Amino acid sequence: MRSRVGAGGVLLQIAFRNLFASRAKTLIVGGIILFGALLVVVGSSLVDTVDRGMRGSIQGSLAGQLQVYSARSKDDLALYGGMMGESQLEPIEDFASLKRVLESVPNVKSVVPMGIDQAMVATGNEFDVALEKLRADVRRRLGGDRGAETAARYDSHKAHVRRMTALLDQELDQARAIVDDGLIRERAREIEDRKHAVSEVFWAGFDADPLGRLEFLENRIAPQSLSGGFTFIRYAGTDLDAYRGAFDRMRIVEGTAVPTGQRGILIGKLYAEDWLKLKTARRLDKIRDARVLNRKRIATDEELQRWVKENQMQTRDILLQLDPVQARVATERLREALARSAHPPTERLREALGREPASTSDPDQELRALLVELFSTDDANFDERYAIFYRELAPLLQLYMVRVGDTVTIKAPAHSGYMNSVNVKVYGFVEFRGLEKSALAGIMSLMDILSWRDLYGYLTVEKAAELRAIKQSAGARDVSRENAEAELFGAASSAPAVAPETPRASRIEVPALVGAAQRKSDASLFSRVHTQAEIDGGVALNAAVTLRDPSRLRESAREIRAALAAARMDMKVVDWQQASGMVGQFISLARVVLYTAVFIIFAVALVIINNAMVMATLQRVKEIGTIRAIGAQKRFVLGMLLLETSAVGLAFGALGALLGAGVVWLLRVRGGIPATNDQLYFFYSGPSLVPTLGATSLAISLGIVIVVSVLSGLYPALIATRVTPLEAMQSDD
Amino acid sequence: MAAIVTVEDVSKIYKLGKTEVHALRGVTLEVHRGEFLAIAGPSGSGKTTLLNLVGCVDTPTGGRVLMEGKDTKALSERELTDLRLHRIGFIFQTFNLVQVLSVFQNVEFPLLLQGGTSRGERRARVSALLEAVGLGEHLRHRPSELSGGQRQRVAVARALVTRPALVLADEPTANLDSQTGETIIDLMRDMNRKDGTTFIFSTHDPKVMAHATALVRIADGRVTSREVASEAAAAGTR
Repeated sequence: MRSRVGAGGVLLQIAFRNLFASRAKTLIVGGIILFGALLVVVGSSLVDTVDRGMRGSIQGSLAGQLQVYSARSKDDLALYGGMMGESQLEPIEDFASLKRVLESVPNVKSVVPMGIDQAMVATGNEFDVALEKLRADVRRRLGGDRGAETAARYDSHKAHVRRMTALLDQELDQARAIVDDGLIRERAREIEDRKHAVSEVFWAGFDADPLGRLEFLENRIAPQSLSGGFTFIRYAGTDLDAYRGAFDRMRIVEGTAVPTGQRGILIGKLYAEDWLKLKTARRLDKIRDARVLNRKRIATDEELQRWVKENQMQTRDILLQLDPVQARVATERLREALARSAHPPTERLREALGREPASTSDPDQELRALLVELFSTDDANFDERYAIFYRELAPLLQLYMVRVGDTVTIKAPAHSGYMNSVNVKVYGFVEFRGLEKSALAGIMSLMDILSWRDLYGYLTVEKAAELRAIKQSAGARDVSRENAEAELFGAASSAPAVAPETPRASRIEVPALVGAAQRKSDASLFSRVHTQAEIDGGVALNAAVTLRDPSRLRESAREIRAALAAARMDMKVVDWQQASGMVGQFISLARVVLYTAVFIIFAVALVIINNAMVMATLQRVKEIGTIRAIGAQKRFVLGMLLLETSAVGLAFGALGALLGAGVVWLLRVRGGIPATNDQLYFFYSGPSLVPTLGATSLAISLGIVIVVSVLSGLYPALIATRVTPLEAMQSDD
Repeated sequence: MAAIVTVEDVSKIYKLGKTEVHALRGVTLEVHRGEFLAIAGPSGSGKTTLLNLVGCVDTPTGGRVLMEGKDTKALSERELTDLRLHRIGFIFQTFNLVQVLSVFQNVEFPLLLQGGTSRGERRARVSALLEAVGLGEHLRHRPSELSGGQRQRVAVARALVTRPALVLADEPTANLDSQTGETIIDLMRDMNRKDGTTFIFSTHDPKVMAHATALVRIADGRVTSREVASEAAAAGTR
């Protein structure tokens, strides 16, 4: 026994002293292993952290752990949209019964109905908004309100509309210069209308006939304004209370939650920033982000230069928003702020300001010049101008086209092609923690599921009743989906349609009926509180399932499938990663990239180490031969060489892992890796990636390193065992 | 005196590519216990091959080599290795010490491979041997810090530390100046006398041969003479 220990001891000594004797080789081999271990530890820590972060963001914002949807669907569920737009899902006809089945599985915590779709939001145009305000004043005056405040507001709004009309006229006159005569003749009536609307006569007679004049402005002038229109919105119709209970990542950044059971929408903050914010302000934000986060410079970046130019050119949106009183305030504030500026205004501005007002017909000339100057930003004055904009000008402006408390009109095409629309009240703006800047995943808005059903074209309980009433009065027959064809084409011989066993949702397919339903006052619809039965009892496209114990995901999926099969429900059950489509793939992709890199590095390491060890073995043939001649068995030689490589592997692998842990620690101390663009922000699930070190990833990386070093040492060690004692007899030359 | 090694009509053919090299062509030889035998002959005469066969490092193509009565051809690679470890000591032309081990550790190494000795016993044996070869002061030195003669003394100590029956030395003095060579041969002869260890060494230096108690001349793979000449013995005691 002592002998074994003794032999082991000398083995160790020879091995270590050899390593020390051939320092260069040991350092090269060790260096490669060290680098590999470092990469594995840091890389897997980063990927694990990204994985955990994205898992949290995705599971906690929309996906839950599992998603259930109809197996008859044409497409796979893609919560964040697929390559070809929204996936076509067959509706779940009766969510309530699905919920009952799913909730029977013990590990299911909550089941949230969803319908995800894209729709259009009418963002309105400034002209309509101003006219709406004026109309409200007119109505109040006609109602007998003679208060001084109302009068003042009425005058101000009237002046605003008049100013907007003048601005519009100017703008379109300029546009006329570049179009041909034929078009001008065609547009003759439009021009005539505009000239009428800016005339002194028109406004002098306004007080006498406010409603008539408003009608003229609304029908003839407002349409000529090019701004406004629609933007696309991506939303999930859902049981908002159940949603809030199940998903922890949603945060209301402004406004309040939609009251329990009521209709309403929570608009995605990112969506609002991108699509609903005043373009000028949005561009300023983007320039600032680019400068601060990406360290871009206006002087060197073409995109930033374009944004600066666009801000200089497009002052109209701001001018249109300001009524005469606000315009005066803005002019004063800007004049003062720019005069105090550390970066003196340009020649151009001084010229513009120095000139006497050319005519009273253009009171905006000075404000326009001030705005152009404000937006003439370079790297030196940007921060100051940005501050001036938000401090002086922004309070006078409506920065977002939609505000909390507004009612927005959302339109979506039904499958038959015509538009459905609903009006919903905006209760607030929401953000999804970790997805704040993800254009793909973070632009989601949340709407009550009843409005979604209206929009998507499925009956809600109340609407069905309403429609029945209307149809009865109109003498319309009830046509179900199943026998619609027969009804339409009068195929008398066709087999009678078999009534489905479960009540199937029917789409509202006739615009007139929709209109009739729509005319019901929004106010009563908004204040109505729906019961949970109404919310659950209807159509959904998919159901998000959260689990009590998320680690038992596979098992729970199996249980859910079994429960659904037992209930004869033909549903697909997918996990969050499958459900999140492309977004979910990102994590897998990152992992594949890391593993590929690690694999390549270790493959290269294997070759290099193997080579180095073979060379080293060949150099030591004489020593090995001597040891063999003296009486060492082959296994002693094998053990000696394997010990050498695995000692190097272990020592440098451990050192590399330790260094990797150090790098991770350093990253944490430094506050993580900052996300310098929106893609990274999404990837990191926040403004920075703060990596954490998992014990398992550390153990795995050490395991890999040791396996690789033993593998790479195996071949040279086998070569060494083939060295015969005869080699010892050879003379040196 | 009983034969410690018997070589019976041994031939050895090496293949070098397509040509066959007849290193030994029917050698018969008996080596007796306690002999201090020199094998002499010009380069390429087959001295080293004969030593390798006797030393169980190689096996013959034809004939048999009996090491203490055991046919080396009948033994497995592992058994041959064990035989070398326990019964044979080697001294090499180029000393062949393990560079990374100290003088002490080099000598201790075969004992460690053997096992069965305590730490204290090993220390005592190694120290005594190194003292005997005149390196008592150099236990901690590395081979690279020693002269050629000193290194060969270490090798002698290493060859003897296991108390082998037979020590083989292939041209032990070839890489040493003649004076140093002679002291090494003297040292070996001392050990031979003291413990009765059989020594077989090859050489082509007449001065070295003179120390042998027996001289085998070999040429072209054949033994040309075996002199247990009294003059050889006399020369050895001179």
